[in-house]
Amino acid sequence: MKNLTKLALAGAIAAVTATASMAQELYTPNLSYRTGPFAATGIPLMNGQRDYMLMLNARDGGIGGVPVNFEECETGYSTEKGVECYERTKGQAIVTQPWSTGITLQVLPLTNVDEIPILAPGYGFSPMSDGKVFQWAFNMPAGYWDAASMILNELGGGTPAGLAGKKIGFLHLDHPYGKEPIPFFENMAAEHGFEFLPIPVGLSEMQNQSAQWLQIRRERPDYVVMWGWGAMNAGAITEAVKTRYPMDQFIGVWWSGHDADLAQVGADGAGYRSISWSQPQNDSGVMQAVNEHVVSAGDSLASDEERSGVFYQRGVVMSMMLAEAIGNAQAEFGVSEISASQLRWGLENINLTADRLAELGATGMVSPFSTSCSNHTGHAGGWMLQWDGEKFVQASDHLTSDMDAIKPLIAAAAADYAAANAPWPTNDDC
Amino acid sequence: MLYRIAGQFKTSYQKDQALFPVQQDAWLLGIILLFAWLILPLTASEFVFQTLLIPVLIYALAATGLNILTGYAGQLSLGTGAFMGVGAYACYKMVTIFPDLNLFIAVLLSGTFSAMVGVAFGLPSLRIKGFYLAIATLAAQFFLIWLFEKWAWLYNYNASGAIQVPNLDVFGIAVAGPLATSMAQYYFILIVVTLITVLVINLTRGNQGRIWKATRDMDIAAELIGINLLKSKLMAFAVSSYIVGVAGAMFVFLWRGAAEPNLFDIELSFRVLFIAIIGGLGSILGNWLGAILIVALPVILNTVPGVVGLEIKSATVEHINVMIIGALIIFFLIVEPHGLARLWALIREKLLIWPFPH
Repeated sequence: MKNLTKLALAGAIAAVTATASMAQELYTPNLSYRTGPFAATGIPLMNGQRDYMLMLNARDGGIGGVPVNFEECETGYSTEKGVECYERTKGQAIVTQPWSTGITLQVLPLTNVDEIPILAPGYGFSPMSDGKVFQWAFNMPAGYWDAASMILNELGGGTPAGLAGKKIGFLHLDHPYGKEPIPFFENMAAEHGFEFLPIPVGLSEMQNQSAQWLQIRRERPDYVVMWGWGAMNAGAITEAVKTRYPMDQFIGVWWSGHDADLAQVGADGAGYRSISWSQPQNDSGVMQAVNEHVVSAGDSLASDEERSGVFYQRGVVMSMMLAEAIGNAQAEFGVSEISASQLRWGLENINLTADRLAELGATGMVSPFSTSCSNHTGHAGGWMLQWDGEKFVQASDHLTSDMDAIKPLIAAAAADYAAANAPWPTNDDC
Repeated sequence: MLYRIAGQFKTSYQKDQALFPVQQDAWLLGIILLFAWLILPLTASEFVFQTLLIPVLIYALAATGLNILTGYAGQLSLGTGAFMGVGAYACYKMVTIFPDLNLFIAVLLSGTFSAMVGVAFGLPSLRIKGFYLAIATLAAQFFLIWLFEKWAWLYNYNASGAIQVPNLDVFGIAVAGPLATSMAQYYFILIVVTLITVLVINLTRGNQGRIWKATRDMDIAAELIGINLLKSKLMAFAVSSYIVGVAGAMFVFLWRGAAEPNLFDIELSFRVLFIAIIGGLGSILGNWLGAILIVALPVILNTVPGVVGLEIKSATVEHINVMIIGALIIFFLIVEPHGLARLWALIREKLLIWPFPH
């Protein structure tokens, strides 16, 4: 009995101290997926995000002197668990990182009511770029339509007009995520006179794409562009190797550029390209800081190999953007413990110039960009990364997207969304 | 002690066949209803509403629908998730085509669409039985999911292929969409679930219920005593799919707020089937016990380390959670293979004759 009382007392004290410490931290929960079918691609990204925040806590005592509580809530990529996590964390959270297009779609309509910003770096819903309509959602530094545009620019030799008369196969996951860029591709195909051929891969056939690759062999597209995730990437790449599709005509989006997927085929995959808004820089200042404060201390969950990969370092950049936004908000409002709406201001006023990136030790990891009240994406542009048989290397100059083509699409899609969800408040001051 | 029935005399056949032959059962149900209708909604937080109360109600309703087909009429179905999807997409089309339609009517009507689809896929049940029928319903599962993906009209040609619930109100109170409060959604669901549950309890106690049970226990014998098997089986498919469709419409409209086709994938079918099996086939109470075990318990277990003050990684908690739930399912099925409802029935029986066991 005595022991039981002690235990209860200890529990009570722990609970009290836990709530007390809540008051002095920046709570930025991450809806992670380290379990489930997509865990292999999720883990390096989550580790990168986590290690950067741990590094800030160890090196600077957090951001502006306040430690960051980068708690993870496990979703297993399930929308249902994601909503559970959102409900659990929204009380104290200053930001939501939903980590799946499905969860983003669920949480998006709630943002105007709960007033917590969503940060979906490089994923989510492309029209989120329109800050007038999506006041609380951010998908910096680039959206899917940027990716599509950059790929077309690169393939067409600088302009999509160079693709006239060619045929592009679009191998995509038959899911909101994979369907995102289709409207943009269709517009560009009509405008520039190339043939666009969507080839969907159902969620149940991700690992066995023989039917899709048979179609590719029959249609002989000049290029295959892939919007894949999880097991679909590895499936497509092994199938492409098996059917001897020329790898230098096979291009993926940034989520289809995971080192481990290509490592399976090794040298046979050489030539495969993936557009990316981030780039690994193993010698950069920020990676050295992570090594010094997190890895040497034994706090990192990632292996050495994983840390040199594209996804881990992309995770680092994601947390860096969030930390930058928190710092901005702290400076603007003069408080160290910022609220969710203050963080929104911070996210709207990110200005990562080349100088600022050098200061952070992240030169070349992401290209300079800035956000504003009306532009929640920043449209940073990116690079083609090419698999050389062992690792991804930069294979193009800095690419930018065709904003003239994207802007009207964003405005139209955002207006559609607002109309379908009326009454939807918009911010007309932007 | 608690279940002393001394002094409760039944003086007529009607009383003997009443819904609650033992008075204490009625009291117990009264307390549960009091909790469901008053105490829980007044004390629950947003988190409790969204992750415990609302999902348990919806899953229990879906399992009730499946239980009519599988538990009462004996026809194994693996297409529950897809039939839920039919209800959800039907509701979505109705509220977007007729924006002024009352959501109660839309939800109750959407069940009729899934009932029609259910009957269509139930037609083979006259010729094929058991596992073979399960495969036929599996075909429904895959075909319907494929249809939800390919037929763009169903999701109003939305670029992402997902359906998004608009803001809707009933009698001036927002019940669906981002503006709705959890309490309004809870009461909406509670009204529909209570209504359907009362109807189902009486349906299964009555003539139709006996016809289904006869079909389940031995269909040749049932045919010999004059039961029309085609009618009985199709009726089971219709009623079951109707309820499942209503549950699906509420699943999306009053809880999730958005849905992509793969939400209704086979995993959802299995989840509902497990609820029905673990709760107890051929019982109404079992669906509720099963839903609490499968839907609510993992959420509660997830919060335990935080409350006790243990620092465990979220992914580890998830792994431990899966292990605990798995162990519990095996434990309960070993202790009582007929499900939680049977377990409760045994406990109740023991309490009735306490302190004089056989």
